[in-house]
Amino acid sequence: MTHDTLLQVNRIRKSYGKRVILEDADLELQTGECVLLTGDNGAGKTTLLRILAGLERPDRAMVNDGRHTHSWRQARKELLRLSVYLHQTAYMFDGSVSDNLAHALPRPLQRDHSRRQIRLALEWAGLDSLAKSPAKSLSGGERQRAALARAWLSQARLLLLDEPTTNMDYHARQRTLELLHALKAEGHTLLLASHDPGHFLPLADRQLGLRAGRIQPLVWDTPPAATADIPFNVMPMRRKLTW
Amino acid sequence: MESLSEATRQAIVLLLSGNTELWTIIGISFRVSMTAILIATVPALLTAFALSHWRFPGRRLLITLFSTFLSIPAVVVGLTFYILLSRQGILGDWKLLFTQTAMIIGQIALCFPILVVMGHTALQSAERSAWETARTLGAGSLRALYMVIREVRFGLLAALLAGFGRIIAEVGASMMLGGNILNYTRNIPTAIALETSKGEFSQGIALGLVLLIMAFSLNAVLHQLQGRGLPVP
Repeated sequence: MTHDTLLQVNRIRKSYGKRVILEDADLELQTGECVLLTGDNGAGKTTLLRILAGLERPDRAMVNDGRHTHSWRQARKELLRLSVYLHQTAYMFDGSVSDNLAHALPRPLQRDHSRRQIRLALEWAGLDSLAKSPAKSLSGGERQRAALARAWLSQARLLLLDEPTTNMDYHARQRTLELLHALKAEGHTLLLASHDPGHFLPLADRQLGLRAGRIQPLVWDTPPAATADIPFNVMPMRRKLTW
Repeated sequence: MESLSEATRQAIVLLLSGNTELWTIIGISFRVSMTAILIATVPALLTAFALSHWRFPGRRLLITLFSTFLSIPAVVVGLTFYILLSRQGILGDWKLLFTQTAMIIGQIALCFPILVVMGHTALQSAERSAWETARTLGAGSLRALYMVIREVRFGLLAALLAGFGRIIAEVGASMMLGGNILNYTRNIPTAIALETSKGEFSQGIALGLVLLIMAFSLNAVLHQLQGRGLPVP
């Protein structure tokens, strides 16, 4: 384990009844890296992400947060604090887009301060014009950007993204990829799960494959073609979020 | 026997004249039923949340039991607590029979299953991702629970209305546990039953009108809220 390890989880086991999903899976994430996790449908990508988010209890896992090794019971709180999990289809609460972003702010914050942070986040995600719109009426791409803005506001160090561009058209996908790149540039650690890795290749520092319940570094005989063609050196960030 | 229209006219006059006995009965009715629903709401909603959120042994059995309790007649609930609270009963030492407290206990038992079952249905309609999104955004368990409850607030309000409607209009438990004592345990339904048995229809109709107006007002408020959505706190 290196000194800038953000999270190390070993010997993860998870089964549903007799069906074993993860068996002795090991994963180490470094601060600021983007890791692409691939695997077929049903391979256990979502389950792994949910375990790492502290939302799903594994049968067994040893979690190291870079300082201490914890049993699952101790680790869950730490994982919830460390990470934000983004569902395949982001959930939006009743209320406006701004209201939804407010849920991500650490409490308690001064009212004026909150408004300023929310405005920055809306601007960052390109959702300024939708600030007062009902969040439940957003399109898939807008929802994902709102969810990323929430993650950005929450200041979580680890973002766990489950198929973040599923069912998006070209433009929506490109804007989402821009935001992911901006998050990475800010030092967030990203773990992206996708069964269609082509879109994320320019973003990923390394790739892992989930096969038969185990995580292995992925080595391609013929790497899949990168299907993302945005100029990633162009950052959509206009202002950095400060507290 | 007076005609229905004449009885209704007399009922309205009785209501508007501020008849003390009539308004005391109305006051007792609302005080007892409001207390019962207020006491039952939080534990019932927590039970509903536990049933919808966690998987544990006996969960399905509990849901089935609460659903079964929905159809138990009020008089059976009254009889059960009558036996428990009567002098020879295991709770006889509490000396609660024929008091408002006994009526409240009976009404809690009546509305609790309604709140649990309808609350469970409402909470199940909330996507699991609502709870998970709240948690992953840093909300503690209580805050996340509040956020989920807010998502299904109209379903839960409907559950509260149904529970309140059940207990404000029930006769059996109130009659057996309260004893229909004037100015103490006589509430709207027991008074209607008594006045009708005496052939005094006007007071019965007046009290029935109060129940109808209350039901209409509560439902109108609920539909108004549903129509425009509650503001975000």
